[in-house]
Formats: sequence, C-alpha cells, structure tokens
Amino acid sequence: MKSFLIFTKRNIKLFFHDKGMFLTSLITPMILLVLYATFLGNVYRDNFMNALPNEIDIPSKIFDSLVGGQLVSSILAVSCVTVAFCTNFLMVQDKSNKTIKDILISPKKPYLIAFSYYLGSFVATLLICFAALIISFAYLAIIGWYFTFIDALLLIVDIFLLVLFGTALSSIINLFLNTQGQMSAVGTIVSAGYGFICGAYMPLSSFDSNVKNVFLFLPGTYGTSLVRNHSLNGAVNELTKYNVPESAIITIKDSLDCNLYFFDYHVSIEIMYIVLILSIIVLLAIYVILTCLLKDKIFKSK
Amino acid sequence: MKDVIIIKNLEKSFGEVKAIQDISFNVKAGELFAFLGINGAGKSTTINIICGQLKKDNGHVEVNGMNIEENLDSIKKVLGVVFQSSLLDDGLNVYDNLESRAALYDITGRDFKNRLSELNDLLHIENLLKRKVGKLSGGERRRIDIARALLHKPKILILDEPTTGLDPKTRKLIWSVIDDLIKKQNMTVFLTTHYMEEASNANFVVIIDSGKIVASATPLELKEKYANDYISLYNISEEEVKKVNIPYQKTNNGYRISIENTEIATNLILKYPNLFKDYEISKGNMDDVFLNITGKNLSEM
Repeated sequence: MKSFLIFTKRNIKLFFHDKGMFLTSLITPMILLVLYATFLGNVYRDNFMNALPNEIDIPSKIFDSLVGGQLVSSILAVSCVTVAFCTNFLMVQDKSNKTIKDILISPKKPYLIAFSYYLGSFVATLLICFAALIISFAYLAIIGWYFTFIDALLLIVDIFLLVLFGTALSSIINLFLNTQGQMSAVGTIVSAGYGFICGAYMPLSSFDSNVKNVFLFLPGTYGTSLVRNHSLNGAVNELTKYNVPESAIITIKDSLDCNLYFFDYHVSIEIMYIVLILSIIVLLAIYVILTCLLKDKIFKSK
Repeated sequence: MKDVIIIKNLEKSFGEVKAIQDISFNVKAGELFAFLGINGAGKSTTINIICGQLKKDNGHVEVNGMNIEENLDSIKKVLGVVFQSSLLDDGLNVYDNLESRAALYDITGRDFKNRLSELNDLLHIENLLKRKVGKLSGGERRRIDIARALLHKPKILILDEPTTGLDPKTRKLIWSVIDDLIKKQNMTVFLTTHYMEEASNANFVVIIDSGKIVASATPLELKEKYANDYISLYNISEEEVKKVNIPYQKTNNGYRISIENTEIATNLILKYPNLFKDYEISKGNMDDVFLNITGKNLSEM
C-alpha cells in the first residue's frame, strides 16, 4: 500500500509540476463563470422572472442567487468531468515518452499502475474542483447566499462523486490513447460536448423529448441534477416565504432539471445518488478489467 | 559458471519483418556479455523479450533458471535495465524519481534510504539528489539511470548502449562502476554498445545481423579468426613499400599493410630489414572483426 501511495504521489507531483497544465485546468472553470455571468446571467434572470406571477414582489437578491446557482452548478457539473480529462494526461504522456517501459520493467501489476494513475488524477481533479467550489461559494456569498449547511455539505459530496465519475470515464478513454495529440483532441471534444449531453449548458427540459430520453440514460445527467438541486435548493425554498405557488416552484425546478423524469417516473435524489455511485463502480470495474485483459496493447509505448 | 540467461531458437516477427530469426546463446553468471549489431539488427527486440516487454513468437527464454512465460514477475526482480535513452521523469528531482521507482519494487522508507546510501557510495550521486533530472548533464543522467536500474539489487544488469554520446571522462567513470559491479558483486552484465573497444573487454561476444547470429566467441577468438594484424611503416617512401609486394594503405604519417598473423610480420622484417627501421605491429581490433563479419562499420551506424 505504501509503495502504491508513493507512486501515486509521483503522478500528482508531475501534474502540479506542469504549471501550464495546472493553471489551464484551474482557469477553465473561472473563465466559464465569468463568461456565463456576463452573457447568460440576464437571460437566466428573465426566465426566472417570467416563470413567477407578476403580482408577487420578490427581492432581487433571490433572483441573483437563483441565477448564480444555475451558473455555478453548470460550471461545477461540467468541470468535474472536463478537468479530469485535463489532469489524466500522465498515463498517455508516459506512453508517448516511453517512461511506461521503465515502469513496467518492474514486477508491479499493470492494474496497480493503472489504479495509481486513476488516484493521482482523482486527487488533482478534486483539488481543482474544490478550488472552483470555494470560488463559487464566494461568488454566491456576494450575490446572495441561501445555502443551508446540509445543502453545502451535499454539494461537496456531489463534487466528490462527480470527480470520481469523471476520472473513471477519462481513465477508460485514455487507456486507448497513445499521443498528446490524441489526448488534446479527446479533451476538446469532451469539453465541447459533455456540457450539452449532461444538461449543464442547456437544461434537458429544453430539449426534444426523444433527445431528452436518450440523455436520461447517461449517468452524468443525474450528477448534474444533484449539483443543481443542492446549488439552488436554498434560493428556491426562499421563494416559498413569498407565497409563490407550489406549481410555479415545480415549474422552475422542472425547467432547471432539479426534477428529472425518466420517461414518466420522477427520479428522487436518493435514486440519483444510487445511479451515480453505481456508474462509478461499473466504470472502475471496466477500467480494471480492461487494464488486466489488454495490458499488452494499452500499455505499449509508441 | 552457471548460465543465467539461456536463449534457444528465439524467433520474433513484426508482420512481414523477421526481426529475430532462430537465435540461440547463453550468458554465464558474473560475466560481461556483449551483444553487438547495427541499429535494426534485433538487439533491442531480444532485450525487450528477455525483459518481458515483448512476446516472442517461438523459442525458449530462461533467466536465472526461470522460464519467462511462467515466472515473468520473478524474472523482473532479478533484472535491472539501463535503457538506451533515459526514461526517468524530467520534471521531478533525482530523489523523487528514485523513490517512486524503488516503490515499484516495494522498497520504501528506511529500506529505500539505506539502498540510496549504498548507491551513493557506488555512484556518488548525493549532490544530484535535489536536482531535477531534466537539468542534469548526459553523464549525470547516466549515473542516475544506473542507480535506478540497481535499486532492487538485480543479479543481471542489461545496459543498452550505456555510454553512447558521453564524453570520454564520463565513459571511463561509467565503466569503472560496471567493472566494480562485475568484480565486487559478481553481477552479470549484458551489454549492447557501439564502441568496439568496450566490447573487447567482454568475456563473450555475440554479433547479430538482420536478426541472425553471425558470430559468437570471446573477443580474442573473434580477433584471431576475423581480424588481420597490421604493420605500420613510418619514414619510408611509397616506392619502398611497393617492394614488399603486399597491398598497402596510405595513412596520415606512413603506410599500413595488412598481414594474417605476427609470424608473417617476422618473416617480412627478416626479409626486408632496411624497410623496417621505424614501424609498429598492431593486432586487429573489434572494429575489424565487425567489419569483416557483417561488411558494415558499426562506428558509422
């Protein structure tokens, strides 16, 4: 175990040694936050105001918090996966610069080496996403803080699980990559596409029902919904204090994907956690099995 | 002496290319074994098969009495490999590199520190430990590569062109370390090199060309069989050299004639005493052996 941790430490140190990679990973969520707040904030705000009855006077701070919660939840849900693709470069780099030969010349089992890459990438991704979470909390504290302690805690748990999920997904895909170019291409595709298919960039509720049903088969969708729920719960609950009808609150929650409907079945928060945890277990099992079965092909330096 | 590496009828192809064609050889414990060949001859393929990084098509490979197909993990514990180019992490310092590689052999904590101290005695690396590997000179890197290969006290050290590109002083240092390992620790060293004078120090030499073994013997036997002796004549005119009636070669400061053995040299000296006033007789070297066997000049590859 100690030797495994020392080798994992090597992987983490190499990631943080590459200042460019670290800063790029960290700065991406921040740039997204600024861009979202600048260009989409007003659109989101108008949507919320239109969804509520005109005769009810609601403080602007609550709208700010709803908009901020939506922005922050989108960024955090996407970052947990896209940052993982950034941090999980070492396995590919070790193959492209042939360092993997020096590692596999040892008697350590390839699946342990693979798991060490996973753990190293997980820790690096978690640190960056927690940094993004702290900045997000600071942003929400400035514009309107309605978090309960439990929601804040559950949001941390959501980030933790989504990072486990994102790292497992990127680890499986990176097993088949051999060059930095391939990795950059995959990173670009994931950065561009994942936000849409998990409902972060645009809520699933705004998609065609067929497309929405397809996306509901993807576990990342439930991770996004968990982050949305715990980012927006406080502000949404605050609305009830101003006598906003239950139907309007449900409409808001539906439109934000806080409520997900698998066909006609309303997916509870507990089920969302179960889906996410099971998907992490399945992805990790696939990763370990692939590593054992294909070790001669996937760990060959090019 | 016991054979620590046994290769029998080894074959390996990459598609249509037959990289290794039915080669067999043995390496004895505690010897310096030189494996020579030009780039693409099959040296690295053979080494990769011995290390378990490449699967063979046919044949038998045994290391330290263990079959490679059944005991690869155990074999990896007795093998130390210095690769042709350094494969350590440029971004980490020497200590972190060695610590992470030692961990691959479950050498951690106090055991690692003790081993590092032993390696420091052998390779004098203490002043390099805090420096990044990427910032080291070629010679310093090589010392660290050797330290990495020796971390787990292997019985067999595979050196894939360990001194290529190094200055003469560093080459001398590396060789003094290798000599120490062989003499004091009875380590078996499996060497590939482009420097023929290094191969001439080996106990046994195998020359491989296009995937086939073309010669194998001790350096002395190879030189006797494949390399002529030379007489170098100085302060003499070309007209005088022609009198010897043996093909000659003009050199920078005289002429060189090739002879089969020193007995012929003695006869020539007795026959033409006036020509042999300033001369030297030299034995053929491993460059000549390689050139005569393969028709290729290894130092130019």
